[in-house]
Amino acid sequence: MTTEELQALNVDKSVDARGTACPGPLLAAKKAIGEISSGQIMEVLSADEGTKKDIPKWATKKGHEYLGTVEESGYFKIYMKKG
Amino acid sequence: MAKMTIGLSTSSIDKLTSVGVILSGAAADDMEVDVFVLVNAAHAFLKDKADTISNMSEDVQTPEEFKASLEKLSTPSWIEFFEMAKEMTEVKIYICSLAGKIAGGEKDEDFIDMVDEICGIGEYIESLQECDVNLFI
Repeated sequence: MTTEELQALNVDKSVDARGTACPGPLLAAKKAIGEISSGQIMEVLSADEGTKKDIPKWATKKGHEYLGTVEESGYFKIYMKKG
Repeated sequence: MAKMTIGLSTSSIDKLTSVGVILSGAAADDMEVDVFVLVNAAHAFLKDKADTISNMSEDVQTPEEFKASLEKLSTPSWIEFFEMAKEMTEVKIYICSLAGKIAGGEKDEDFIDMVDEICGIGEYIESLQECDVNLFI
C-alpha cells in the first residue's frame, strides 16, 4: 500500500508505544491485537528502531496482514490487519 | 507450541534483565518457556533478596547507572519483565534444589511468588531434550 493509502485507512485500534524502548512496542502490539476482531485494522506508533522490523515480521508470522509503515518525524506508524 | 529452555546461572541484574527481554520476545511469539534457576541465580529469587539484587556482571556501569538508564527508557525491571511474560505465555520457573540450598532457600515459600517449583537436575535435562531452543545464561 502507498503512504497515502495507509494514511487514509480507517483504523480500528491505535497503539501509541512511542514512550517505550524494545520490547515495549512489540508487547503493546501483542496485547492490543487481542482486543480487536479478525479483519480489523491496527496501527502501532513506535520510535524504537528495533521494533521497525520486529513488528511486521511478528504480524506476518502470527497470521496477520502487514499493510505497511509510514515514516513520521521521529517515529513511524506500522499498519496491520488482524488475521 | 515451540518451546524454549533457559538455564539461568547468574543473579546479575544486567543478565536478569536480558533474560526478561528474551522472555518477552518469546511471549510475543507464543512460545512456551521453562526457566531453570541454577547456582548463583537462586539468590535473585529469594523472597527477602529479590528486590535488593544489584550486582552487575561487568563494570561498564554501576548498578545505579544501569537502573537509571532503564528508567529513562521506560523499560521494566527484570522482575516486571518476568511477571509480564508469565501473564502472556506459559513460563515456568524452576529452582534447582541444590542452587536453592546454596542460596539459603529450601521450600517454595522461601522464594518469590513467580517461582513454580523446586526441582532436581533430571527435570532440566528432560526439558533440554524436549525444547526447540536452548539458552544457558
